[in-house]
Amino acid sequence: MDCEDAKGKLLESYDSALSGDTKRQLETHLTACSNCARFAAALNKIDTQLKGAIVAPRLSRAFRAGLRARIDRQRRPVWAHWLPDAAYLAGSGAAIICCALLLPFPVLSVLWAGVLTATTGYSFQTLLLSSVEDL
Amino acid sequence: MMKDEDVAELLRRRQFEGAFGLLLDRYQDRVFRLAFSILKEAGRAEEVTQDVFLKLWEALPFYDGRAAPATWLYTIARNTCFSTLRRESYRMTAPMEGCVEPSQCETAPRQAEIRQLLERLPATQREVITLFYLQDQSIEDVAQMLDLPEGTVKSHLHRARRALAEMMRS
Repeated sequence: MDCEDAKGKLLESYDSALSGDTKRQLETHLTACSNCARFAAALNKIDTQLKGAIVAPRLSRAFRAGLRARIDRQRRPVWAHWLPDAAYLAGSGAAIICCALLLPFPVLSVLWAGVLTATTGYSFQTLLLSSVEDL
Repeated sequence: MMKDEDVAELLRRRQFEGAFGLLLDRYQDRVFRLAFSILKEAGRAEEVTQDVFLKLWEALPFYDGRAAPATWLYTIARNTCFSTLRRESYRMTAPMEGCVEPSQCETAPRQAEIRQLLERLPATQREVITLFYLQDQSIEDVAQMLDLPEGTVKSHLHRARRALAEMMRS
């Protein structure tokens, strides 16, 4: 085994166990070669220092609860999203029907005027909300 | 023990809650360590890990089975970390500076030496060797996280160790 082989085997020994034969050859080489022995010592020191320096932190206990809360918040807007529109539609519809029945004007004209007003109001509200969201 | 195939099967049956629970149990720590290796700060890494699982939760109904669930999750995790880094790059300093406990920094002068040596490695070697020690020295995990073949991870590790040993001897 030459020095390059020995260094290769030394590096390999940190990933997977060497066979008995290779291990013996490596030990024989290290006993005879001070340069490779120093390389082996340096690798060993690096491994120990890396194990000490790179320590994985742990997730806090609040991690799961926080994630669950965020997922729940994410679900809620699905309801909140359509509710204002539905309320607006129902309110406008009811107001138009009341006006058509109560006001002393032709029913069809009142209905048209009501639909026009409600549509304009809805467009204005949507525009206003999207500008607020952009802010 | 849960396997990725179990998750894929649940997703095929559209049982998203179950699949999400399994993925969370198996991968929350690994995703957190991957985030920590990129962001270098435990608090931020935890926040980003939540972002990653939130994105996963939203994306589960669209899982098409082309990639393994773990590969898919790690892709989401890497992309989320890198976009966070880009957004907050001004907050980032030297790697591993964010020791969790201040006392750990004070009591380990030797750790400063190895961190300085790590800094001198090329980025990929540094990332691979850092993740290797963060992930309980599992080459398989590191390969899956970085979407690299195991042989490539080993070769980066060998180069990094050889370079560190040479630096230490010089």
